Amino acid sequence: MSLIAFWGAVELGLVYAFVAVGVYLAFRVLDFPDLTVDGSFPLGAAVTAVLIIAGVNPWLAAFVAMLAGAGAGLVTAMLNVRFRILNLLASILTMIALFSVNLRVMGKPNVALINAETMLSPFFGLGLRDFYVRPLFIGVLVVVAVILVWRFLESDAGLSMRATGANARMARAQGVDTNRQIYLGIALSNALVALGGALFAQTNGFADVTSGVGTIVVGLAAVIIGETLFGTRGILMALIGCVLGSILYRIAIQLALSSDVLGLQASDLNFVTALLVTVALVLPRLRRGGTA
Amino acid sequence: MISVSDIKVTFGKGTPLQKQALNGISLTIEEGQFVTVIGSNGAGKSTLLGVLAGDVIATEGQVKIGSADVTRQGTAARAGRVARVFQDPLTGSCGALSIEENLALAARRGERRGLSSALGPQRRAHFRERIAELNLGLENRMRDRMDLLSGGQRQAVSLVMATLAGSEVLLLDEHTAALDPGMAEFIMNLTQKIVSERKLTTLMVTHSMRQALDYGHRTVMLHGGEIVLDVAGDNRRTLQVEDLIAMFRKMRGEMLDDDALLIG
Repeated sequence: MSLIAFWGAVELGLVYAFVAVGVYLAFRVLDFPDLTVDGSFPLGAAVTAVLIIAGVNPWLAAFVAMLAGAGAGLVTAMLNVRFRILNLLASILTMIALFSVNLRVMGKPNVALINAETMLSPFFGLGLRDFYVRPLFIGVLVVVAVILVWRFLESDAGLSMRATGANARMARAQGVDTNRQIYLGIALSNALVALGGALFAQTNGFADVTSGVGTIVVGLAAVIIGETLFGTRGILMALIGCVLGSILYRIAIQLALSSDVLGLQASDLNFVTALLVTVALVLPRLRRGGTA
Repeated sequence: MISVSDIKVTFGKGTPLQKQALNGISLTIEEGQFVTVIGSNGAGKSTLLGVLAGDVIATEGQVKIGSADVTRQGTAARAGRVARVFQDPLTGSCGALSIEENLALAARRGERRGLSSALGPQRRAHFRERIAELNLGLENRMRDRMDLLSGGQRQAVSLVMATLAGSEVLLLDEHTAALDPGMAEFIMNLTQKIVSERKLTTLMVTHSMRQALDYGHRTVMLHGGEIVLDVAGDNRRTLQVEDLIAMFRKMRGEMLDDDALLIG
């Protein structure tokens, strides 16, 4: 694997770290299997791309993308909380609907951002090679996001969200409005995923309506790899695990695809992903020596 | 103070499974009074507790806690007035959170929860102190996950959690039923201590007639969704477990008679 390919994998891992943290919030904190992310990731990309082309400041474009993602999350939460649709199904409905929404937003299946001003533009040409600038820049954003989410989850408000996922009956007895926590948590989760989509569009120079396929699997893979390697002790460790899991996942994929011995090609990506997640799921059980 | 007037609760109204769980119950519990509630299965004990806690919304009637009418309020909305310990130790606390996080959660019961850290040094010290009072050695395990504790330890912590934030009533839902006899006694003594020290208005549902007579100021027996016995003071002091059992028998007999009529 070349240096450029390596840093490219790190960069993509960092972009998807936002997805991983979002998936962690939904799946682990709230215990809400949320597939909305397959739609909110390209939604973030689409919104940010269209706005940048319209001349909007790229930072503002990314922020609006987050709001759009939060909106998508609120729809899923409403379908579940208000209309009592099973959480998984509610999120699938939103995800399917978002495919059409994304096409409407862009007006076509994909939008190119070549030569457009992005959040990264001011940092190119400062002496550092481009393939270092991108992961460095996104890495800084990831660190900020992880610190904010960590502080939130260890606050009084965050504690009530964690209680909602862990024991809703107890949370209500403590005066926590569990429905509100689901709205809040799923909105936050999808806002982070949409931010990942916005950064994906800005670093890769395009938004594509199909770029969301499998986002949930990639996010889950990162969360599970993180948990397998770094354990689940403490919120901060879990969040760092999500980020490193996401990076390791990309490096593993890159290694698998670029290894001549294995003879894999780019189209084998999904199979390799499924295999990796399976290994990450099975490994801890084998290590414990149990059959459970 | 708790006052419920003419509460009726019907489950599955209009379906073949319709059940009248509470059939016009009126009960006033004065400030600082400790009431024990007994009754056979299906008598309506749990439903009554649910009506007070907000888990069950009454079909008819009025529920007042203190001076506030909470009849239509859900569990979370009235949590600031109601502290509660559940029968199942797993229900009353969060296994996935640490002991101190559970306490932090309970310390803000019924209050707004902000973005400041849930576990500052001051709060940590206060929680540690309160847990140390239990003499279970748990003060050295504050960062352990709650699900590492035994059922009895969890109930003890739950009792502390119930008293961290202010409340107008304490509801105990057979909170020693899942424990071994030794631990059950420990929890009951702890309950007695906390209730009398803090002069809490308390309603305890229990399966044990011994407990029902030994603790508290007043005993209420439910049957078929109605109050069939309500004793306090001297009448209660002379009442024996045997008398209660006799009453239970009598009531069950009536039920059999009813069935016999239906079948015959």
